Amino acid sequence: MEQILNPLQTSLGRLKMNSPVTVASGTFALENLDFIVQEHLGAYVCKTITRYPKKGNPPPRLYETEAGLLNSIGLQNPGLDKFIAEDLPILRKTLTVPLIVSFSGASLNEFEQMLECLENQEGISGYELNVSCPNVENEGITFGIDPDVVYKLCALLSPLTNRELIVKLTPNVTDIGVITKAAEDGGATAISLINTIWGMAIDYRNGMSMLKKGIGGYSGIGIKPLALALTYRAAQAVKIPVIAMGEFITGRMLWNSFGLEHL
Amino acid sequence: MDKPRHQFLERTIYSREELCGDYFILWIWDEALGEKCQPGQFFEIRAHYSIADAEETRSLPKLFKPISIYDNAEGRIGFFIKKVGTGTNALYKLKAGDLLELIGPLGNGFPFVTGRRILLVSGGIGYPPLWYLQKELIKHNLLYWVHGGSGQNDVFPCDEIWTEDGSFGKKGMVTEGIRKLIAEKKIDLIYSCGPIPMLKECAGITNKLNIEHYCSLEAYMACGIGVCYGCAIPVGYENDWNYLRVCKEGPVFNAGEVLWNKF
Repeated sequence: MEQILNPLQTSLGRLKMNSPVTVASGTFALENLDFIVQEHLGAYVCKTITRYPKKGNPPPRLYETEAGLLNSIGLQNPGLDKFIAEDLPILRKTLTVPLIVSFSGASLNEFEQMLECLENQEGISGYELNVSCPNVENEGITFGIDPDVVYKLCALLSPLTNRELIVKLTPNVTDIGVITKAAEDGGATAISLINTIWGMAIDYRNGMSMLKKGIGGYSGIGIKPLALALTYRAAQAVKIPVIAMGEFITGRMLWNSFGLEHL
Repeated sequence: MDKPRHQFLERTIYSREELCGDYFILWIWDEALGEKCQPGQFFEIRAHYSIADAEETRSLPKLFKPISIYDNAEGRIGFFIKKVGTGTNALYKLKAGDLLELIGPLGNGFPFVTGRRILLVSGGIGYPPLWYLQKELIKHNLLYWVHGGSGQNDVFPCDEIWTEDGSFGKKGMVTEGIRKLIAEKKIDLIYSCGPIPMLKECAGITNKLNIEHYCSLEAYMACGIGVCYGCAIPVGYENDWNYLRVCKEGPVFNAGEVLWNKF
């Protein structure tokens, strides 16, 4: 077929993309390809995987608020080995757009081990490091809130791969610019943000949280201004590409986020 | 690529019925769709306007709501709905001629059997899927249907009715009469749908008596197609269990395998 000039074509580091729109990890799977044209996506980001299988959090895990959604899924996933053995071959077969594997470790060492395993696998164009999880080596404090840890993590992983290394940042920090800079200095090739912000809903009838775990992650229309502001701050702090995450339903909502290169 | 497993549909509401209390029925007509449906399956449905005018009115787009199939007579498909929140309220305002957005049919239905002595147990808005089920089963099995509600506004046609306040039928919880019914009617299979405490109580009885029992569960859902893991419930055995998705592996589960104490 004749190659038609695609005005939306863009690139993320060395990665050529059909469009600047990618999917947010955990919200999109192959099932969703029944509803859209795959080639309209710039890349496909899979649900975060961890070294070992994770059962996830007890239900209820979801609650739709007046302005967005609360979730506490707890990274339910089959683990790295099963992902490589079962999911990856299907992804390779089905995808025509670049695959970005989102993963998360419980320690720096575990992140390193996982990257080494994934480096041996073909059909992966990049990684997204989910740093919104607790670090067992650091009193369970979330990786993504400590610039030193983010720097160490990126500096540890970036020499090990030639693939894109995207760091997905948590918004639950005091200064996003410092963390973003730390990721860039460590060798990350792109930043994506924001992961969900902490949120909670109470059932007025019994005073209990609507989520079993109490606090969950809040996403959706209600935090769009916050997400835009943090993305703006992050983009000012670094030279590497910044991928903004959020919902858009119409073209105008997308244009409202103008100036942001990747969504 | 394979034929899409899920389809996004828009169908005109053919008629609307107002029932007692907060209940109402929306009817659509689609013969091809009707052929695909099985008792126990559900659709993700949403009022078309709730998303179409999001840009202009700033009214908030809401998630699709999982609604089980109440009736399916050669394509005349009914959704029997209770007004409980903003999503179902938007559905409540729909009139004949309005557009309904649907994804489905989704999930796995009730197993079909013949020559059995069956007890149907429903509570509140657990009634609709059992209506569709009994239509299919009644020619091949002996059925007895017991339904419970909080008051006279929560009861619908069946063989035996219980209300918590005693305003209609027998006074008490619907599960109180089950033991006696099982013995009297020599029941060897139970199908149930209703609130979790009712299903738990019911499963406790059938587990003790070693009677086959299939229950249809309700859960907060976001995607409805197995992507987000928001609707997961604990299923398996004490030392070997996992969170399974109500939308994909369910909504019908073998009640003996659901870990009711982990909710």
